[in-house]
Amino acid sequence: MDSFLRVQSVSKIFNRGEAGESFGLKDINLQINKGEFIVISGPSGSGKTTLLNLIGGLDSISSGKIIFNGIDISSLNETELSDLRRDKIGFVFQAYNLISLFSARENIEYVMKLRGFSQNECDMRVDEVARKLGIVKLLDKLPANLSGGEQQRVAVARAVASKPELILADEPTANLDSRSALELMDMMERLNREEGITVIFSSHDPMVIDKAKRSIILKDGHSLIDSF
Amino acid sequence: MFKLILKSSLSSLSIRKGRTALVIVMIAISLWGLMVMQGVYEGMVEQMISNAIRSDSGELSIFKSRFREEKSIELYIHTEKAIEEYLERVENIRSYSKKISIMGVVSSARYSRNIYIHGVNLQQESEHSQLQNYLIDGDFSFGQRERGAILGYNLAKKLKIEVGKKVVVSTQDSYGDITSIKLKVMGILKTNNMTFDDSGIFMSLEKAKKFLSLNGVTQFSINLEDFSRVDELKKDVKSKFQNLELYDWRELYPALIQSREMMVIFNYISYLIVFIIASIGVFGVMLVSIMERLREFAILRAIGTKFSYIFYMIFFESLLMGLSGFIVGSVLGGGTLYYFSIYGLDLTQFSDALSEFGMDAITFATIKVEYFITAFISVFSATLLSLVGPLRFLRKRTPIEVING
Repeated sequence: MDSFLRVQSVSKIFNRGEAGESFGLKDINLQINKGEFIVISGPSGSGKTTLLNLIGGLDSISSGKIIFNGIDISSLNETELSDLRRDKIGFVFQAYNLISLFSARENIEYVMKLRGFSQNECDMRVDEVARKLGIVKLLDKLPANLSGGEQQRVAVARAVASKPELILADEPTANLDSRSALELMDMMERLNREEGITVIFSSHDPMVIDKAKRSIILKDGHSLIDSF
Repeated sequence: MFKLILKSSLSSLSIRKGRTALVIVMIAISLWGLMVMQGVYEGMVEQMISNAIRSDSGELSIFKSRFREEKSIELYIHTEKAIEEYLERVENIRSYSKKISIMGVVSSARYSRNIYIHGVNLQQESEHSQLQNYLIDGDFSFGQRERGAILGYNLAKKLKIEVGKKVVVSTQDSYGDITSIKLKVMGILKTNNMTFDDSGIFMSLEKAKKFLSLNGVTQFSINLEDFSRVDELKKDVKSKFQNLELYDWRELYPALIQSREMMVIFNYISYLIVFIIASIGVFGVMLVSIMERLREFAILRAIGTKFSYIFYMIFFESLLMGLSGFIVGSVLGGGTLYYFSIYGLDLTQFSDALSEFGMDAITFATIKVEYFITAFISVFSATLLSLVGPLRFLRKRTPIEVING
């Protein structure tokens, strides 16, 4: 059976052909099945973010292949990558990255609207996700009026609202206190369980790493320890 | 989705109020200045043309063949009555006047000048050319016995003569003999047509005929109901009457046509300047605006927004600014032009210089729909053009490059 996501001999070289050329990732191989809840850990600079960016099609691969749902994403053009991200992947960024001009509700329904959901479908889904994440009272607020923890919950809501097949979360708890971090991880774990969404997140916080069912450790962009 | 895109553009405009206001004011002031300049300049040129047409040629003039070159009194129109009867019948004729124009000399008590003697029927002229509107002193009349004259403004100045004084007009009559007539100055005209103001004397047509022993006139000046049919009339007159030459005002005053053409070029240059100013302004502001929001656009792209949606967001934002600037500029420009079209722009302090070019001291501006259409096209193009650079900048970078700074 084909796996949900396959990373095959992937390397990423920064500043290729220039003075500061360096490897971000070197010959990474990875296989991920649908519905997994995986953490990618490792020290700063180990390539966690780079790997997530490559899987999400946010950055280009120097060599190798990433096969997502049978599609080689390295062969897609910018428009096809946009469509892939819109339809299949939800992103949670370390710095929340909400759209400052939109309210929490508008941020959450944004990707759904991109995908063509009706306003009624958007409203129902936003309310459902907001209830699960405990942010119902925050929906009409602008990001600037939310705390870091609240913003990150809205960001998670945005990522899951359109029911993507994969959520990529880059150090989602890095800017949160321990309690908020654990709460957020519990919520993500619940969404993974209840909605069957595959979740890959990066972290170097042991408390957060413990929540994952599978851990992949990167070191210097090329060492890989995979443990279940 | 469109609602969200529009909301993003509107929110961005309202959050960055200072920037938004700056661009709108910049576009509005540029358009305001441009429209006023264009309307006033066009008004000047049209007045110049109107002065020339009204005071002299009409829209079409009929002369005896070779009269225009030789200016000889022998080359007068013998068929005056027949032409008059013809003109009365033609539908396309709005008004006409007949006149005698020949060269002569005028003498006051102290000075003499070369002049053009214009024998005219004042009743006809007041309907045809509204010559009475140019009167600046005295009466629009040749007196009870028609022994009066109306002089051009500059000629009166050169002769140092006033209303009520007498002048002697001398010329050669149709027999080739020298003839003179003493005329009382009844009025002074300022037409801003140099030929008349510097050297024109108007006297009674009937008096001039007797004085010159002439059984006809030298010119018919005609205004048409529909000028576009002028060639049709020319052809018809030529087929019915022999040895006549017909010139419309464009042939008689090629310099005026050139002025009009110059005005068109001037307007294009003005639009180009405004276009460049508006483009640079909108470009600068949009570049800063996009740079400020680069991260936001990168996030939108990262979560699956197509580049075309980002383009629409930025485009709507600049279009809204451009349109607002256009509306404000059009209201200001249109309002100012409307005011000047009713009350005129008083340039009396430059009247001498202006009259040298056949322009009035008070210029009445024109307002045309084209001004607004051209202004809209300029602003719209400037807005579109200003987006090219910032959008290219945005497109060249991957979302993650921008998000990571």
